[in-house]
Amino acid sequence: MNLEYSDEQMMLRDQVTKFCESDYTFDKREKIISSDEGFNKDIWKQFSDLGWLSIPFNEDNGGFNFGPIELSIIFEEFGKNLVVEPYLANVVMSGKLLEIINSDQSKSLITKIISGDKQISLAISEPDNAYNFHSIKTNVSESNSKILLNGNKSIVLNSKNADYFIVYAVNQDKENGLYLVNSDTAGLSINNFKTFDGQICGELTFENVEVDKSNVLVSGDSSVDAINSVMDYINLCLSAEAVGAMIASYTKTVQYTKEREQFDQPISNFQVLQHKMVDMFIEAEISKSLLFKAMLQLDSNDNDASKTISSLKAQIGKSGRFVGQTAVQLHGGMGVSDEMSIGHYLKRLTAIDALFGNRNYHLNRFASL
Amino acid sequence: MDINFSQQELDFRNEVKDYLENKYPKHIKEKQANGEQLSRDDVVDWHKSLFNQGWAGYNWPVEYGGTGWSPAQIYIFQEELGNANCPNIIPFGLNMVGPVIYTFGNDEQKKKFLPDILEFNSWWCQGYSEPGSGSDLASLKTKAVKEGNEYVVNGAKTWTTLAQFADWIFCLVRTETTQKKQEGISFLLIDMKSPGIEVKPIITIDGEHEVNSVFFTDVKVPCENLIGEEGKGWTYAKFLLGHERFGIAGIPAQKHSLNQLKERTLSFADDDLKKKIAEYEIELSALEFTELRSLAALANGGHPGPESSILKIKGTELQQRLTELYIESAGQYILPYDGPDGFKSNKKPSSFIGSDFTSRSISKYLNFRKTSIYGGSNEIQKNIIAKAILGI
Repeated sequence: MNLEYSDEQMMLRDQVTKFCESDYTFDKREKIISSDEGFNKDIWKQFSDLGWLSIPFNEDNGGFNFGPIELSIIFEEFGKNLVVEPYLANVVMSGKLLEIINSDQSKSLITKIISGDKQISLAISEPDNAYNFHSIKTNVSESNSKILLNGNKSIVLNSKNADYFIVYAVNQDKENGLYLVNSDTAGLSINNFKTFDGQICGELTFENVEVDKSNVLVSGDSSVDAINSVMDYINLCLSAEAVGAMIASYTKTVQYTKEREQFDQPISNFQVLQHKMVDMFIEAEISKSLLFKAMLQLDSNDNDASKTISSLKAQIGKSGRFVGQTAVQLHGGMGVSDEMSIGHYLKRLTAIDALFGNRNYHLNRFASL
Repeated sequence: MDINFSQQELDFRNEVKDYLENKYPKHIKEKQANGEQLSRDDVVDWHKSLFNQGWAGYNWPVEYGGTGWSPAQIYIFQEELGNANCPNIIPFGLNMVGPVIYTFGNDEQKKKFLPDILEFNSWWCQGYSEPGSGSDLASLKTKAVKEGNEYVVNGAKTWTTLAQFADWIFCLVRTETTQKKQEGISFLLIDMKSPGIEVKPIITIDGEHEVNSVFFTDVKVPCENLIGEEGKGWTYAKFLLGHERFGIAGIPAQKHSLNQLKERTLSFADDDLKKKIAEYEIELSALEFTELRSLAALANGGHPGPESSILKIKGTELQQRLTELYIESAGQYILPYDGPDGFKSNKKPSSFIGSDFTSRSISKYLNFRKTSIYGGSNEIQKNIIAKAILGI
């Protein structure tokens, strides 16, 4: 057993940290989240040039053969700096899924993601399936050798910028499958929304959208397995991001309470506040420990990996809420002011809990596995 | 002791219900039902409607135009308003500066200000917190220097709720630099139209413009606007804070909101959620009875004392807990958010739990983070209880 990062991993971490500190300031982020696209094209190009968009892919697909550890490193740094670029939607959700599916189209689509030329979003959730991701009503029917797609998808991340959607739908034989749909296909309408944490998600409505046979990526049990596998990656990455957000939250809070004076002294002198900050620190460390366990198990294809990832996502739901809320509380009025970064960490932590199974969902899943 | 309401009290409840059914303005009722933001005019209409009913001074003594109601009547009144999903009563005039004026003000001031407060002809805001003075309110630095019959005020106030609508602001100002910082503070009423006042919005994390910074540059205030004695402002401020903490728990509104949550989640086969809602409801009923006990003490001639800090701490904790239960029940559908006004009519995300529900859930969750910070942070409230009640 070895719980130290390799030199290569340390280099990656330092590279991401440096980039975020110099090129992803809070002011810059504010401009990005208020823009229509909700991401920055130049930064996305830089991500590609730095090789970050190819991180999780194997060499055959043009990647570095990196895995859960490197993804966790990137996402932890993203979390510390509240990065909103659509890395999760493209590289993890769509890219990793395509690699898992390993269909004829996978390689060329992954190449497009790596180059940053095209964006792809995964459409799984529906307006009424809560977190029951496999229970879907969006359907495909075959008539006269045409495949027609009908239904609704909701909470599709980065919908506005997607050139393609990978759509989870059920066929006449009640088999789930994944279908590739060009975003400008006739019959597809997209309703985009800003999210409360400064990102973009949308709803897709399919009305007799024609799907070419070559765009059936996978169907049957393999599609269910692929979604389950990618879900582990998604929740790992989100949790790593949450750990980063928690670390930033307590660090900023410690700093603020040392500077903020009330009753003729820095408020960090008050034991009540010290203990709160110690609790924040403990929650972040506990979460980080589960993150390590989960990423290492996933990296070594451990049978328990999926269960551990649910334990991680459940834990960061609880820890993230405490850390995010306490950070705001200890900043006082400044904490609820939108021009300070601290409230944005609370928003992101809240959004992370809500995405792809909240604490309740993962507690139940953990108990059932 | 008797937990049952008397026949008189039951009759009174019917009277309130009758008002809510027949006289409560329809346009406000509708907006409330749809979760729409109320305009300044709406808020004024709502208060005028209460005034016309003779109920604006629901917790004021009769001699100042109040109802002189018993604690039980006040409780019933507030409960029915909550049940009917009425907007909050804006507290700055009616529950804050009003009681200060009729308790510590002179006859001139009572005549000049109280009728307009009751009739809601004047909208008040509260000039307490400053950029450098939050929990340590007594460290405030806004200065008022006496020149002839005027005070000249310079400084800044912050987190001033709805100052953008206000006609008047009641301010704590420093009139003297004293060894004990509480002793140099005075309580001043300032016309918001005075030259030298500037209001700047602060946007909160829910995207709302509710609070403001208020800047004072050489603002001239007639000396007749000083409440009580110079240097005694801290006493009046504490009296007011006692009143502010009272009712801050918003129990009737919480009960209404709880019922809505139960309705929405009725069909959920989610035992975890049911248990959590039950835990919350039990604590809320405990708090409600705590407030009743305080009300009873108040009726026996007391003023809201340090025990009102219990209501502040527990009340805001429960308010925040309820918002958590809302977002838990809404799951991933809380993500799309178009700001505190909700979604524009033809562009709403669909979800089984409803876009109005999800949007309001996240809006309230973020907005209510303030409740454990304002009105004296909960940490400060605990210090008050430790010192004033437990004698530590």
